[in-house]
Amino acid sequence: MAAASVYTPAGFDFSNEVRNSFLTERGIPLPKATSTGTTIVGCLFKDGIVLGADTRATEGPIVADKNCEKIHYISESIRCCGAGTAADTEFTTALISSNIELHALTTGRKPRVVTAMTMLKQMLFQYQGQIGAALVLGGVDATGPHLFTIHPHGSTDKLPYVTMGSGSLAAMAVFENGWRPNMERAEALELVTAAVSAGIFNDLGSGSNVDACVITATHTEMLRNFVKPNERVQKERSYTFRRGTTKFKKEDIRSLVVSEDVIHTGEAMDTS
Amino acid sequence: MEAISVDMNRLKAGEVNLGTSIMAVQFKDGVVIGADSRTTTGSYIANRVTDKLTHIHDRIYCCRSGSAADTQAIADVVHQHLQMYTQMVGGAPSVHVAANVFQDLCYTNKDNLSAGIIVAGWDKEVGPSVYNIPLGGGLFRQPWAIGGSGSTYVYGYCDATYQEGWGREETVNFVKNTLSLAMSRDGSSGGVIRMCIITEEGVERAFVPGNELPKFWEGNEVLGAPLKTKEVSDAVPMPVDA
Amino acid sequence: MPDGSFSHPQQRQFNPYSDNGGTILAIAGADFTVIAGDTRQSEGYSIQTRYAPKVFRLTDRAVLAVNGFAADGNMFVKKVKQRLEWYRHAHAKDMPLRAIARLIQTMLYAQRFFPYYVYNILGGIEEDGSGAVYSFDPVGSYEREACRAAGAAQSLVQPFLDNQIYFKNQAAAPNQSHPAHLPLPDVLSIVIDSFTSATERHIEVGDGLEIYVVLAKGRSAQGLEGARGIQELSTKSDGDRVFVIRRELKKD
Repeated sequence: MAAASVYTPAGFDFSNEVRNSFLTERGIPLPKATSTGTTIVGCLFKDGIVLGADTRATEGPIVADKNCEKIHYISESIRCCGAGTAADTEFTTALISSNIELHALTTGRKPRVVTAMTMLKQMLFQYQGQIGAALVLGGVDATGPHLFTIHPHGSTDKLPYVTMGSGSLAAMAVFENGWRPNMERAEALELVTAAVSAGIFNDLGSGSNVDACVITATHTEMLRNFVKPNERVQKERSYTFRRGTTKFKKEDIRSLVVSEDVIHTGEAMDTS
Repeated sequence: MEAISVDMNRLKAGEVNLGTSIMAVQFKDGVVIGADSRTTTGSYIANRVTDKLTHIHDRIYCCRSGSAADTQAIADVVHQHLQMYTQMVGGAPSVHVAANVFQDLCYTNKDNLSAGIIVAGWDKEVGPSVYNIPLGGGLFRQPWAIGGSGSTYVYGYCDATYQEGWGREETVNFVKNTLSLAMSRDGSSGGVIRMCIITEEGVERAFVPGNELPKFWEGNEVLGAPLKTKEVSDAVPMPVDA
Repeated sequence: MPDGSFSHPQQRQFNPYSDNGGTILAIAGADFTVIAGDTRQSEGYSIQTRYAPKVFRLTDRAVLAVNGFAADGNMFVKKVKQRLEWYRHAHAKDMPLRAIARLIQTMLYAQRFFPYYVYNILGGIEEDGSGAVYSFDPVGSYEREACRAAGAAQSLVQPFLDNQIYFKNQAAAPNQSHPAHLPLPDVLSIVIDSFTSATERHIEVGDGLEIYVVLAKGRSAQGLEGARGIQELSTKSDGDRVFVIRRELKKD
């Protein structure tokens, strides 16, 4: 195999851009990306941050994934919820997670939330909103607990309680009503659950289960499927098919087992 | 011949907007800058306690209006630039320098930005100064400047009210009153008023909560006195058939 | 122009229609018909109400399901009911099912250039006592079928019905043939499973399910009386009879 002689730069490959914009002009739209319709939230409490998310991913009006993970790992005590284009949230958080790890290794210090926030906003600003990631970034570092929202165009806000995604209005209504300073862990977790549930039940883009993540100075606890209020119901009938239901024209059975005779020659190796 | 026009709403689809009322006023010992606290995406208030008064250097701040992403990015770049400048020159930059860095960015990238910025601060060369950098990337030194969508409602008030030679208290009240009037008329502005008083001594922050804004004419003669909150009974859930 | 200049001509138009989601379906048996619909009404990503009926009893032998733009649907049902009442006063009997089907066609086509934005499915019992389903497009094209799904989850439910009702892509066992009509309990199970499945995978389907069952005159209601959440809606017990079964669906 000859090594590729053409230089391929790092980062996104734009080589199909011309073709795709031509097709769009001819009335052939780009394929729909999986979007996380989404309710994602975050809230500050006495000892740290609680993040929350629903678990539905949609493609237009169709549910693409009933139990996806929207709380992404950045570092041990920094996590990031993603709304918007599923692929964009996954890759941006993964990239920033890698860079944060490298940054921690070079500086020899634990990473800070503002560092992750700055890296994310600079990347999203660079792409002028083309990367459709709407993020809730939360964590605890040497300077205390921090909670940010990052919009697709690269603007950030620092607030004690935040929501994003299509269910953000439903969730924010719960926060505006129930949030108080210096809440206990259990209270904060309950409030986050209520906020995400408001999104799950009142926003069609959000659904299924509640994921939560509690981050304190000493410990991070990922509560995957913390509440499951939408279990699948039992079907009335069983839909197994009788053998022979599908017709076929030809039958051809091949043996894929390779048999091999091993003949020992010479003396066995000394393994003592 | 098509008239040259500047599109005020060049925000990209779904972009976060600082609808905004911002202002800065020079007085004899320093400057007072102020802003409302509303950030919107369409009709939704994404942040009701935003801080649009952004630190650039020890005695230099800016007020941001337009796209939140663009103005934050510009402010971050200028901040970094002035940090480098300070190390190389060995002293704090003047407001004039900061304003010129802003202007350069806003002018050279005017096709890709929607940012209206007011730069204000104190330096030892000229004392207090206010610079306005509106949408196209111009640079204007003014004794007072207002900006953002809410500013259009209060030009007349400012022209009629502002006087040279004010002290600190009068200037703070002028900013407070102007912003309150702008916020009451402009739907994209609102929340609380944040202010900074920048003098040689330092930067002092001031804050006016949303329920303590100065009040002006509220139409009581026409609409009747507002209802007292105590007389409003608690909401009762509507009975719903099963 | 956003900047206030009027150098370019612009056109604006009010769109009087919207899509309120939801799904309906109907299956005809030998001497019964089942017509069902979910009760969620939505616009965009918001739920307008969790209980808005899409299926309506017209007579003791006819049930109409409407799906699409809810305002048009409700107005259309109101007008059909009005025409049926006039018929009753003129002829002292209920309009036969096939006549209702033709009436609906003319009413829809009358609005050819400003259509009712609705897909109609009419189900019930014909004068010969057989179960029947009529499906319509918004401007009145219709046909009689054994089963039909319409609405938001049509593309999910119809292939399932084709497989389970018409036995499409299913070879019959040797020396046997597929039944022309399924028994009522099987049909009810398929209807419920259609909706629980559509609720799982379509965001506009859910909240509640209303299943209308029309039984031909003389057919026993055996096996139906025991059904959970059933209610009889017919005016007489010696003619064709109409029942409704109400069930919950997932609400996320």
